[in-house]
Amino acid sequence: MIQQQTPPRGILPIDVDEDQDLLEDLPASVQQRLQALLRTNESIELAVASDIRADGRFGPTWLVSTSLRILSIDAEVADGDAAPAQLLLTDVLAVELRDFHGSGALHVRTADRGLTLARFSRSLMPKFNRVPRRLEQLVREMQPGRSDEDRIARGVADVAGARRRCDRCGRVIPRRFGLCPACLETRKLLVRLLSYAKPYWGLGVLSLSLMVINTTISLSPVLFMASLLDDVLVPTEEGTSLRPLLADLEAYEKLVVLVVTLLVIYVSSNLMGAVRRYVLAWLGQHVTLDLRNEVYRHLNTLSLSFYDERETGRVMASITQDVGRLQDFISDGLQEIIRDVLTIVFICIVLFWLDASLAALVLLPTPLLVFTTLRFGGKLHFTYRSLWRRWAGISALLADTIPGVRVVKAFSQEAREIGKFEVRSGELLDGELRAAKLQSLFSPIMAFITRIGTLVIWLVGGARVLEGELSLGFFTVFTGYMWQFYGPVEGLCRLNHRFQRAATSAERVFETLDSQPDVRDIPDAPPMPRLVGRVEFDDVTFAYDDKPVLRHIDLVVEPGEMIGLAGHSGAGKSTLINLICRFYDVGEGAIRIDGRDVRDVELKSLRNQIGVVLQDPFLFNGTVGDNIAYGKPGASLDEIVAAARAAHAHDFLMNLPHGYDTVVGERGTRLSGGERQRVSIARAILRDPRILILDEATSSVDTETEVKIQEALERLIRGRTTFAIAHRLSTLRHANRLLILDKGAIAEIGTHDELLEADGVYARLCRMQSELMKRKAW
Amino acid sequence: MTEPQPTYDLMRELSLIDPTTARLWVDEFDELYLRIDDGEPRGPLTVQRAFPISMADEFLSLKDSSGGEIAVIRRLDRFDSHSRAAIQSQLEWAYFASTITAIHSIEIAYHVPHWDVETDRGRRVFELHSSRRDIRVLPGGRVLVRDADGNLYEIPDVRRLDVASHAFVEDYI
Repeated sequence: MIQQQTPPRGILPIDVDEDQDLLEDLPASVQQRLQALLRTNESIELAVASDIRADGRFGPTWLVSTSLRILSIDAEVADGDAAPAQLLLTDVLAVELRDFHGSGALHVRTADRGLTLARFSRSLMPKFNRVPRRLEQLVREMQPGRSDEDRIARGVADVAGARRRCDRCGRVIPRRFGLCPACLETRKLLVRLLSYAKPYWGLGVLSLSLMVINTTISLSPVLFMASLLDDVLVPTEEGTSLRPLLADLEAYEKLVVLVVTLLVIYVSSNLMGAVRRYVLAWLGQHVTLDLRNEVYRHLNTLSLSFYDERETGRVMASITQDVGRLQDFISDGLQEIIRDVLTIVFICIVLFWLDASLAALVLLPTPLLVFTTLRFGGKLHFTYRSLWRRWAGISALLADTIPGVRVVKAFSQEAREIGKFEVRSGELLDGELRAAKLQSLFSPIMAFITRIGTLVIWLVGGARVLEGELSLGFFTVFTGYMWQFYGPVEGLCRLNHRFQRAATSAERVFETLDSQPDVRDIPDAPPMPRLVGRVEFDDVTFAYDDKPVLRHIDLVVEPGEMIGLAGHSGAGKSTLINLICRFYDVGEGAIRIDGRDVRDVELKSLRNQIGVVLQDPFLFNGTVGDNIAYGKPGASLDEIVAAARAAHAHDFLMNLPHGYDTVVGERGTRLSGGERQRVSIARAILRDPRILILDEATSSVDTETEVKIQEALERLIRGRTTFAIAHRLSTLRHANRLLILDKGAIAEIGTHDELLEADGVYARLCRMQSELMKRKAW
Repeated sequence: MTEPQPTYDLMRELSLIDPTTARLWVDEFDELYLRIDDGEPRGPLTVQRAFPISMADEFLSLKDSSGGEIAVIRRLDRFDSHSRAAIQSQLEWAYFASTITAIHSIEIAYHVPHWDVETDRGRRVFELHSSRRDIRVLPGGRVLVRDADGNLYEIPDVRRLDVASHAFVEDYI
């Protein structure tokens, strides 16, 4: 963990012995000043460093408590300056930790004054939250007469931040990861990407050998050209290495043989090129198919918390855009890279074989090329990363506003939405132009560097031809190969940006793949047997994103019992049912169904036996029949119709133009709210769940529809353990017991009559609602 | 043609305190108190900004120890200097944030961004959870940063940073 001016011990795990933990090593300057103040028999009991000074600058100030007093010492204030602030422990009345928006403070109060003895950043909150308790111990030792009930210390209930660091290495865990990525095995992106090609290694080898042969063949024409010049057209004394083969032939015959050989070479190399191209494309497409499917498969295993933290558009972009980029790279870029590298290696061998001193000159600009490429590479990578972010931002904006088009139109804010889009669009343009600027600079620079190489060769080689050391044919061959050398080198450098773009996308894809679901099966989790339906909450506590939502819930629900859940918005009702479905795992305590902890059984087998009807039922684009059968694929038509009848959906379904075959539209928008609700009830009935969850199932429909839905629900709940959330208390009249939640804790529990008798929260809610009904009746 | 019926005046919803009669001060226990005219002092109070980012000194909500709002300050600059200082001293700590004046480096190790910056309160090194969620870009080049522990930093205008610092941050906004 890097944190400037943290105390020497850094942030220690919470379970370390607390007294030890709060006694940090004082720097020499502070110790000196303390020694001057301390009396004999006065020992240092607590010493913690804060990271903000009294004047608001960053820097350590020490909070020290001896057996007699509490002091605040600024480490950088020299001797002889103002005496440190101090309070005698015998005077202390209260010690309070204050949790502000941007910092924290330790406030100590005596009978006649109050002092803020330490200011600290939120990073030190977990440590300072333990200070008041320790100070209370010390104060009590000095004030023996004080009663235990008279509380001195006041801390903060829940300290955020601590849980977002890795237990093992103390590093921050990025939000999108379930585990510390530094502690996970990290593999190089490319190696990892190539591992997806493993199943197709046979094809990979085939295309590679094709490429080797092809490269060899395509390099030979230059040799034949030399022979054409030196052996046939302008015979020189030495000739070329091919001369012995052609020795017995006439000049015209030689010409024909060479031209025909060249023809065969061109035809075969292009044919092979075509085959290789297709094979590699096939390979690339299959690798991306696997990757795309794996990403989607993985997205489906991830817990709700993954989606809570991300915008839909950005999640979608990782499948549509990133995998697409990788496909482009694997099936196109990668083979160019391999081909270019092969060509470079081959030509290097040929060039050195031809003439080592000239070959060395050819290689001269290469280091410069590599350096420039690397230099630009880093810049390009960042540019592409920010470009990616801007693209994803546009996707997110669209995913946000297009489903909200009704609201946009109702408030006639089209112009504003267009404006917002145009701003993002313009930012994208800026980013693209930045990338374009880099690219347009890059290519000419590279081209220029290579030209310098050719100029040198022409100068040195040309001189040697003039001096008669080299034949024209030989020099032609050499320059020919030289051009073929610079071509792939330049090509590789140009590929660099494509490679960077792909690396960015690979990063995003693997990030998604590396995210671990918070909620997952333990290894070899047994399936949940057919449920009886006894649900038990054993001291359940749950915090969502550091905000405590449920506290110490104890509850046993008997099979077939209906529990009505009521309470204010945000009291934790929905969280309670999310925990039953195991959408999240409990923080502390356990939920047991039929005596088995929900974390110990296979998730799928558990959820298969739970039916859910939500306030805003989500239907998928498809026919009504398909939607009813969603939870039970392969359900017979009889079952579908029976379920629809039980849910009071049959009659209106029959009036739709295509009956059960009517397409409901995206999210079921072609049906009304009440109709969608009844389809979703049919969907739940068909599943025949043992545990049924009704989350505000009737809150958004008119009274007549509500009556119908209520009738449907009455049939549905028979014999099943049911949890129903409702704001309208009348809909809970069938409940065996009512559970009233208040600020995450159980406020009241009992039957309707019992709760009325108790005259508590529920009784008040009932009175208010009947009052409301009277007003409505007017 | 008849005049449209008058509708409910929304402004009646605001319960603003009158800057000419209200006095605020911090007592010897370091607690904030309010007195209107010659009424009883009310407190200890905490002060909260309604628009902490867009309008730091307008619409300040005064709350009692149980968290109930007792009054709203419309504009802090309408109050007398003593009251203003009392409120400012509370706000400064409650909304403790540092202004980033230069960026030494931003590095990413294991997907965690590490920032090494110079602030008006001194040098500071911190980590972010995610560059996307923890950096908020506002119009006019203003950038807000929240580190992994919840500490707040602000760049008033990225375009006014030196070239090197600007280049560091540009890739993340």
